Amino acid sequence: MGNCLTGDVAGGKQAIGGVQQRPTSTTTNNAAQNDAVDFFFRSRGQYPLFSQIELSLSASNLIDRDITSKSDPMAVMYLRKKDGKLEEIGRTEVILNSLNPNWIEKITVSFQFETVQTLVFHVFDVDTRYHNVPVKTLKLKEQDYLGEATCVLSEVMTKPNRSMTLNLHGDFGAGVSRKLGTLSLQAEETVASKTVVEMNLRSVNLDNKDLFSKSDPFLRISRLVENSIVVPVCRTEVVDNNLNPIWKPVCLTMQQFGSKDTPLLIECLDFNTSGNHELIGRTEKSVAELERLCQQREAINFVYPSTSHGRNKVLKGQLIVDRFVEKIQYSFLDYISSGFELNFMVAVDFTASNGDPRTPSSLHYNDPSGRLNSYQKAIMEVGEVIQFYDSDRRFPAWGFGGRTADGHVSHAFNLNGASYGDEVVGVEGIMSAYSSALANVALAGPTLFSHVVDKAAHTASQSLSQNSPKYFVLLIITDGVLTDMAGTIDALVRASDLPLSVLIVGVGNTDFTQMEILDADKGRRLESSTGRVATRDIVQFVPMKEVHSGQVSVVQALLEELPGQFLSYVRCRNINPVGAPAI
Amino acid sequence: MTKTLEIDIRSAEGLKINRRLIKKKKTFAVVKIGEKSRSSDLDDSGGSNPTWNFKSEMPMKGSVQFISIEVFYRTRCGRDKKIGEARIPATDFMGRYSHEGHLNFLSYRLRDEYGDKCGIVNVSIVVKPHSTETTTMFMASSSSSSSETPSIDGYRGRIVTGLPVWRVTT
Repeated sequence: MGNCLTGDVAGGKQAIGGVQQRPTSTTTNNAAQNDAVDFFFRSRGQYPLFSQIELSLSASNLIDRDITSKSDPMAVMYLRKKDGKLEEIGRTEVILNSLNPNWIEKITVSFQFETVQTLVFHVFDVDTRYHNVPVKTLKLKEQDYLGEATCVLSEVMTKPNRSMTLNLHGDFGAGVSRKLGTLSLQAEETVASKTVVEMNLRSVNLDNKDLFSKSDPFLRISRLVENSIVVPVCRTEVVDNNLNPIWKPVCLTMQQFGSKDTPLLIECLDFNTSGNHELIGRTEKSVAELERLCQQREAINFVYPSTSHGRNKVLKGQLIVDRFVEKIQYSFLDYISSGFELNFMVAVDFTASNGDPRTPSSLHYNDPSGRLNSYQKAIMEVGEVIQFYDSDRRFPAWGFGGRTADGHVSHAFNLNGASYGDEVVGVEGIMSAYSSALANVALAGPTLFSHVVDKAAHTASQSLSQNSPKYFVLLIITDGVLTDMAGTIDALVRASDLPLSVLIVGVGNTDFTQMEILDADKGRRLESSTGRVATRDIVQFVPMKEVHSGQVSVVQALLEELPGQFLSYVRCRNINPVGAPAI
Repeated sequence: MTKTLEIDIRSAEGLKINRRLIKKKKTFAVVKIGEKSRSSDLDDSGGSNPTWNFKSEMPMKGSVQFISIEVFYRTRCGRDKKIGEARIPATDFMGRYSHEGHLNFLSYRLRDEYGDKCGIVNVSIVVKPHSTETTTMFMASSSSSSSETPSIDGYRGRIVTGLPVWRVTT
């Protein structure tokens, strides 16, 4: 309980905003923009009827739930669906010790003109012990509830400044309604852009604002939007006790800084654990001016706004830009359209848990009336999508868990029954290979993925030695419960450094909670039995029953994580689209 | 056969001592192959998630089974105390999935002297192919293998041109 006075300060001192560069991190808070899905629909003439909106949130007069310090608020945004349930869209970061937080993390949502989108916001006070943990993994039930607010997105968009203030209300069971404060939203249209700017900033001769030690300075960079509204964009980490701090490189996308000539407000503040950060100095510069400062090796003096004389006091403290690099961050579509090949591989579950193919209740039921069984439906729907992205339409197809003609149970047999090769052509090829395999292979068990994952990894690693850039996607269509979790995790960890993604499609009604562990979305990286940890999350799980109940489309579910996984592989190795100039 | 390894100890996450996350400690990492070891610089601002980006080249004999990465912290008195260690089997970067020149991004679980989990360390390793010129670090391995001059499969050299020689018998 040593932290009850100050809270977990280390969590609050970290850098916020900017672009993460870890190989394992994928896109965050972006429920709307998915390149792969958009491309698929556009190719069929279905143009998206929405625009991407970015919401910045801030709150004031929140109630205090912490005993000795102020609340550490975080906001979560939900979309209310047709059945009344709330679907989480995104979360802001946690701000320490503040009842008037101005969150930096933005939440992106697609503004669909023709539907009524009800947004629900919940504000929580995050407990001290959760401060150093990635925001995505926080369990909301364990946090203190501070209030909620509801609004309709179109209402926000039609207001003159595109901003709205809502009163927070909440049910604390006391029967008395308290004043819980207000939540403000600011909406902006996002501009997808590829340019990323990376700067190394440092300062010299800053003023000392602390009594017994030196200042703990950090920078806060904000963008000035029309009507002098200030939108915070990013914050550097805090450097303790230093009047000449050197901060870690700051990476901003053009989406965040607007254009190269948009003025940015750069404030240098002294970090205080009470939450009241003191302003040391500020300056207004655009990105182009910062570039010029770097090239000419000049420094800019901070100014301190003074109210009495009407003239700002010019300080001795200076901001220096050591390095300024402009990079282009290519998107998933840039790679695909430049010649990066996506190769799909399919593996079908032939274990006995599916049920005897002759009984109508089996997932493998061969209906004489011609109706498709669950597997065939899954193959057709999924196949449409992958056929679109795979250039040569030749897919290696395997089955696992079945007893082949030679009497042995195989966990990676060729679906087409041939001994020379495992490829089939097109979705029709997969369907016919599946039907013939059903006739020739007896369902057996157990359900093991490791063999097919190893086979896919082997294919992926072979392609590395050739020069043509390829990315592989293994589709496993299965009915459920894994027998060998440890072996599967080992195989996935071994394959996590290769250009491979594994999409697991679940048919049937079993409980798929095991799969959620493999799909490492909660932030826990997979760990093998040998002590190796997965380099990145390469698994994605799609339950078909959610697709059939209409909650999410096949395309959306399948392709949701693929661009992120692809980019995480390609960017950390500095691989550019074919023919693009290397930067 | 001795190979040269280019190892980059990039960062660590979730460093713990006695099962609690460390705060405000200066940490550094040491890579050891056999008897040789190289240490990184101190990271004094990361706390339990330090970033070192320490690149070094070390020779590795063919008989080496694993290399070890150790993470230490420096006490105020100046002593170095070990937080944990990870062992990287040689097959993870030289083996069925990675050929020479491929940039491997690997992560391993650190365990302390009692065997408890105490964090994860992220490294990247390239096994340098035998060549006289040194490739610049961390250009994509795929682009470095697309050489200017065409090379015959597996031969890794320039095309040999030969001149036919006639023997003129007089």
